[in-house]
Amino acid sequence: MYWIRQYTYPLILAIGVHVLAGWLLVSGWAPQKQVSQSIKPPVVMASLVVFEPQVKPQRVAKPKPKAKPKPELKSANVPSAEVKVKPKVQPSSALDDAVRQRERLAEEAARARAEAARQARLARLSQLAQTAMEQVMADEVAQAQAGSVEQIAQSYRLGIYELVRQNWSRPPSARNGMSAKLLVELIPTGEVVSVSVVTSSGNVAFDRSAEQAVRRSRRFEVPLDNGVFEAHFRSFYFLFQPEDLLR
Amino acid sequence: MPEQLSVFELIVNASLLVQLVMALLALASLVSWVMIFQRWVFLRRASIEVEDFEAHFWSGIDLRQFYGELEGEDATLNGIERIFVSGFREFTRLTDQSGADADAVMQGVQRAMRIALNREEARLETHLPFLATVGSTSPYVGLFGTVWGIMNSFRSLANMSQATLASVAPGISEALVATAMGLFAAIPAVIGYNRFSARVESLMKGYEAFADELTTILHRAAHATPAQSE
Repeated sequence: MYWIRQYTYPLILAIGVHVLAGWLLVSGWAPQKQVSQSIKPPVVMASLVVFEPQVKPQRVAKPKPKAKPKPELKSANVPSAEVKVKPKVQPSSALDDAVRQRERLAEEAARARAEAARQARLARLSQLAQTAMEQVMADEVAQAQAGSVEQIAQSYRLGIYELVRQNWSRPPSARNGMSAKLLVELIPTGEVVSVSVVTSSGNVAFDRSAEQAVRRSRRFEVPLDNGVFEAHFRSFYFLFQPEDLLR
Repeated sequence: MPEQLSVFELIVNASLLVQLVMALLALASLVSWVMIFQRWVFLRRASIEVEDFEAHFWSGIDLRQFYGELEGEDATLNGIERIFVSGFREFTRLTDQSGADADAVMQGVQRAMRIALNREEARLETHLPFLATVGSTSPYVGLFGTVWGIMNSFRSLANMSQATLASVAPGISEALVATAMGLFAAIPAVIGYNRFSARVESLMKGYEAFADELTTILHRAAHATPAQSE
C-alpha cells in the first residue's frame, strides 16, 4: 500500500512527460508545410507588377478627350462675335422694325444652329471619348492576359530549365563559351518527341550530353491550357551553356 | 503528401529489431522518469526531515523523553530519526546492563549507529544505479538501433539500379529515431543521477555529522554515569 502511494504520482507525472514529448514531436514535425505555402506568393506578386504599366495608358488617354473640348469652346465664341458685329450695323440702317425683327430672327436661327452644332459635336466627342476608353480598357485586358500567359509560360519554362539542368551531366571536355542550341518538340502531355541539335557547339560530346539531358528528362511539366502550350511549348529552342552550371 | 514523413510513420515502418530497440528505450525512459520523480520527492522530504529533526534535537529537549516519543512510532521512522533511535536504544540497553564498561558501551553505540547509517544510505540510494545504467547505456542501445537500420537501408540500396538520396533517406531517418530516443532517455537519467547522488552525499554527510555529535554526547554521559554511581 505504501509502495503504491509512493509511486502513483511519479508514474502519472512520468507518463505526462512522455505524452507531452510525443505530442510536441508529432505536432512540431511539419514546419515545412508552412514554408511550402509561403513559397507561393511570388506568383501573386508578379501579377501585381503587371498592373503598373497599365496605369500609364490611362493617363495618356485622358488628356485626349480634355484636349478636344477646347475647339468646341472656340466655336461657341464665334456666334457671339457675330452678335457683336451686328449691333454696329444696326444704327447705320434706318429705324426699321421689320428689318430689326428679321435680323433678330436670323440671329436666333444662327444661335440655334450653333447650339445644334455644339450639341452634335459634344455628342460626337463623348462618343469618341467612350470608344477611346473602351479601347484602352480592351488593351489593358489584352495586355493583362498576355502578361499572365507570359508569366505562366515563364514559370513552366523555369521548371523545364531546372529539370534539364538537374539531368545534365557536363562532359569533362566542356569549356566556358561553348554553346549548343537544341530544338525540342513536345506533345501536349509534356513528353519529349524529338530533340535535334540546331547549332552545334563544335564539341560532339558536349552536344550529345545536352541532347541526353533533354531526353533523360523524358517528360516536362507543361501548361494544361492548349493555347499556351501551342504558343510556347510545342517546339522551342534550348540553349546549353556551361556557364549556367558554374554559377 | 508522400514527402512529408511523420515520426509515427517512421516508427511504424521500422524493422522489427529497431522497433524493439525503440520500445526498450521508451520503457527505460518511462521508468527512469518515474524514478526521477520518486527520488525527487523522497530526497526533498528527507532533507526537510533532517532540518526539522535537528531543530528539535538542539532545542534543549531532554534526550530520554525525546527518545521515548520517537520509539512509540518506531515503524514509520526515517533517516536521521532512525539513527538517533538505534544509537540511543543501544546506549540505554548497554547502560542498563550492570557492569558494562563505558568504552564497551560506546563501541556498541557506534556499531549500532554505523549499521543504521548504512541502512539509511542504502535507502537513499535506491534507484540511483538504475538511473546510472539508463544514462550510460541507452545512447548505445539507440546507436545500435540506428546502425542496424542504416545497415539495412544501405543493403536495400545495393539492390537498386538507380541510387538516389530519396531511396536511402527514409531508412536513415527512421534509424536515427532510435538514437534520438536513446538520448531522450539518457539525458534526464544522467542529470537525475548526478543531482540525486550529490543530494544523497550531502544528506549522508549530515547524518554522519549528527552521528558523531550524538556519539560525543553519549560518550560524555557514559563516562559521567559510572563516576556518579561509584
